[in-house]
Amino acid sequence: MKLHISALLLVAGALGAQQPAAQKAAAPTLIKNATILTVTKGKLENTDLLLQNGKIAQIGKNLSAPTGATVIDATGKYVMPGIIDPHSHSMADAINEGSLSVTSMVRIRDVLNPEDVNIYRQLAGGVTTINVLHGSANTIGGQNAVVKLKYGRDVDEMLFPGAMPGIKFALGENVTQKNSQQSSQATGRPLRYPATRMGQEEVLRDAFTRARDYKASWDEYNAKVKTDKTAVPPARDLELEPLVEVLEGKRFVHAHSYRADEMLMLLNLAKEFGFTVKTLQHGLEGYKIASEIAQAGTGLSSFADEWSYKIEAYDAIPYNVAILLRHNVVATINSDSDERARRLNIDAAKMMRYGGLTEDEALKTITYNGAVQLGVEKRVGSIEIGKDADVVIWNGDPLSVYSTAETTFIDGEVFFDIKRDLAKRDQMAKERAALEAADRGNRRVVP
Amino acid sequence: MQTGRSRTTMTLALAAVIAAPPLLGAQIGVQRERNVPNVYAITNARIVPIAGPTIEKGNVIIRNGLIAAVGATAQPPADARVIDGAGLTVYPGLIDANTSIAFPAPPAAPVAQGGRGGRGGPQPTQQGGPTGAPNSLHPIGLQPELAAVDLVRPDAEAFSGPHSAGITAALTVPSTGIFRGLSAVINLGGTSAQAMIVKAPIAEHIGFTPLRQGGYPGSLLGVFSALRQELLDAQHYGAEQAAFAKSPRGMRRPESDPSLDALQPVLAGKIPVVMQASSAREIERALDLAKEFKLRAIIAGGEEADQIAARLKAENVPVLMSLDFPRRPTASPDADPEPLRTLRARVEAPKLAAKLQAAGVRFAFADGGLTNWSEFLTNAGRTVEGGLTAEQAVRALTTSPAEILGVSDHLGTIEVGKTANLTVMRGDLFGGRVAQVFVDGTPVEVRAQTTANGAGMANGTWTLTVTLDEGEKPVTLTIQQTGDQLRGTIQGSLGSSSITNGSIGSAGDLKFRATVTMGAGTEEATFSGNIDGNLVKGTVTIVGHPQGTFIGQKPDTPGGGRRGRPPFRR
Repeated sequence: MKLHISALLLVAGALGAQQPAAQKAAAPTLIKNATILTVTKGKLENTDLLLQNGKIAQIGKNLSAPTGATVIDATGKYVMPGIIDPHSHSMADAINEGSLSVTSMVRIRDVLNPEDVNIYRQLAGGVTTINVLHGSANTIGGQNAVVKLKYGRDVDEMLFPGAMPGIKFALGENVTQKNSQQSSQATGRPLRYPATRMGQEEVLRDAFTRARDYKASWDEYNAKVKTDKTAVPPARDLELEPLVEVLEGKRFVHAHSYRADEMLMLLNLAKEFGFTVKTLQHGLEGYKIASEIAQAGTGLSSFADEWSYKIEAYDAIPYNVAILLRHNVVATINSDSDERARRLNIDAAKMMRYGGLTEDEALKTITYNGAVQLGVEKRVGSIEIGKDADVVIWNGDPLSVYSTAETTFIDGEVFFDIKRDLAKRDQMAKERAALEAADRGNRRVVP
Repeated sequence: MQTGRSRTTMTLALAAVIAAPPLLGAQIGVQRERNVPNVYAITNARIVPIAGPTIEKGNVIIRNGLIAAVGATAQPPADARVIDGAGLTVYPGLIDANTSIAFPAPPAAPVAQGGRGGRGGPQPTQQGGPTGAPNSLHPIGLQPELAAVDLVRPDAEAFSGPHSAGITAALTVPSTGIFRGLSAVINLGGTSAQAMIVKAPIAEHIGFTPLRQGGYPGSLLGVFSALRQELLDAQHYGAEQAAFAKSPRGMRRPESDPSLDALQPVLAGKIPVVMQASSAREIERALDLAKEFKLRAIIAGGEEADQIAARLKAENVPVLMSLDFPRRPTASPDADPEPLRTLRARVEAPKLAAKLQAAGVRFAFADGGLTNWSEFLTNAGRTVEGGLTAEQAVRALTTSPAEILGVSDHLGTIEVGKTANLTVMRGDLFGGRVAQVFVDGTPVEVRAQTTANGAGMANGTWTLTVTLDEGEKPVTLTIQQTGDQLRGTIQGSLGSSSITNGSIGSAGDLKFRATVTMGAGTEEATFSGNIDGNLVKGTVTIVGHPQGTFIGQKPDTPGGGRRGRPPFRR
């Protein structure tokens, strides 16, 4: 296993450095005779799939290859939409701005590392889109980034065009623990409000009240400047701007939460301020309030079967996602982990074992439903004509532990291919040997 | 101090000037030296003026801090002190394009209390010491009004390192914080802060390092938001001030904020921003920020600048390239292998300058925070091995920084009327050694650097006796010391091999490894010992053998710290 990871690391290094910064639209690819898991339109046996101009161009039998197309014989293989991970911290050079209770001004986009090797490893697990979130250190965290895993490209090319902007909130223990007396004494950091769930509600209420006032000051200015050109605009406030966007429905809230009571608190507060919480993240007790979550129009993104790693995670059950789906909540499985992100297909399969989900329902928890939660369901999440060519070829049914992703396409371009990976290892080992030889003369850090 | 004393200092003997550069002991309030003839002539030297072709044999005349004449026929005036330049090469004084020198005490850790949304929080407690700007509304570390010109002090001790590397002038700014303040180009010499300043302010400096001690911003995420908010605040402040200036009647006077005042010329593009960024993505982020606020960007560090050379060229962004090349980590044996890109970046560090040159990116060399000054010229020389021409490398230390920093009227070349900053080498700039520097027309002796690395004390050929379980073995050890790194060979009855992993500490404690030939075959031996003058002794460790010892001496001692006679003639 260790060897395997090192080898992936090797190849990743080369790809990252050698891929050109930007390319024109990928050449067409015709995938022949595959079992296609469309997710939204069932399973299509012995079917061809044409990827052209970055889109899914045709689905059908006996399609003919356009000029210049790469033809892949996928007999006996499976094709599914690229996996969407709705909760990731990969690629982020910083996760938490934990100094303040409200850090809505910070942006994950500012600290994305487009060369993070985890991108490549996740491509190898069939993942094509991730939602990179701020951490859960404070009640209102930072702005997230929805990213297509176009490894080796500039950050701007990786950002998912048209994805809804979002922001991370956090409730419960992670927020309070950071502010506890004990933690403060241990780290020497000053105590930070809030230290209780009551305080968290107050922080939210205060922040949105200030956001309302801020919005009012701009509305006033915008009215005034129509008649008075010399009017000085209010000072821009990067903390409150994203909260105004939340109030206006222009920014999704993804709220880290565990307990049913804190989730209800947030849903009620959102109702009071007139916005919808897009997703509850983790939400391990979501099954207790499935109807309420459904009624609020809120989604939930959970783990398949992770629990008891802290007090607020004790009431978790592996039927959570299935129960929520049965209550018409848009529910997903996420990784929250560089490592688990590489095998989200297995986590989806567990939902069939635990909750009795159908194959399509299980796949939806890692594809289409994630697209809905990120506001990109018109672009990705299922195999349909006109959607982005973000697809993965597996050597078997992706819901089987025995299957491996072989080729991962994003916008019709190959970003992972298991054969290319294997072919490159030798060349990379040689380069490494040469560099290490040259490196021996270099000065060593004196410990 | 009285004027008479100064005169005595100068007339006693030049040796006094040499031993104690005049800036030593300079304090605020000391009167400047006056009425002292300050005329020097370096004769019969090779001169590399950069401004024109190299003069194989010529003279440089210095009068009152300026270059008075230069050329094959420039005659030394009667009142000049004549320095025999035979065997010497005179270069324009080297410029360190980015450093943090001449600040009396290292800045204390910023005490940040942060504020809401990146706005200035409560006034920070003043335990931050000298780096806090008075009456600032912003926490320490986010005070762009901090000015190097107010903080620099002459510091002969601190300057001796750069002098030993041939450096005569530098761009300096405090080294901590996010908004680090306004930098100054200073001469590394002079009796007062004022005398040192060549030009200020040069640039606003930005580092992307979070504030410590729990304040906002405490992460890279927050750094960008805090920068953005302060720049936005400055834009708004500028607009308010302009509106108030236009029609003050009926408008409440906007609150004065020195931090936001200081950002006005930065936002107007009158002052560039020097942004500390090393990896490709750090540079991209810095450039993105500059673009967002239309700032004139300069990148400092630039370890991976070659990867985005096209953008740097297109946006006309110069790089103050660090000569502190990356070093090999001492990784534990079971650590994951280093990423190939890290390895590649380290091995190819000396090629960076040539790549920037080829891409048409302007660059100058900066010390990059290196701790061992002997590496400054060594690494600059390695850029020539990496593909730069020697002239391009010299320019990166002279004319290029002068142009990028906007001081080419004063510095960077040997031309009549320019400041007499000169770097005098025995031999070439790369490969030779610094014999003498002139700072603002004043000669400064270069002292061997003994502080960091034992100053080449290991150099030479040592005759060793190694005592192992197999008996006494005579061995010849040849060492070339570069900084604190040792290379060389052992030869003799233990076979012959190159030494590896050699290093030496400031106290002369050295360590290296070598493959030795023993009765049964070859073994890896670790030598660990201490140099005391001409003597070296220590222990030899070979796995599977009892610990051995070695003792030896260097018969051909060329003289320890003092190397030869200063190139002066009385």
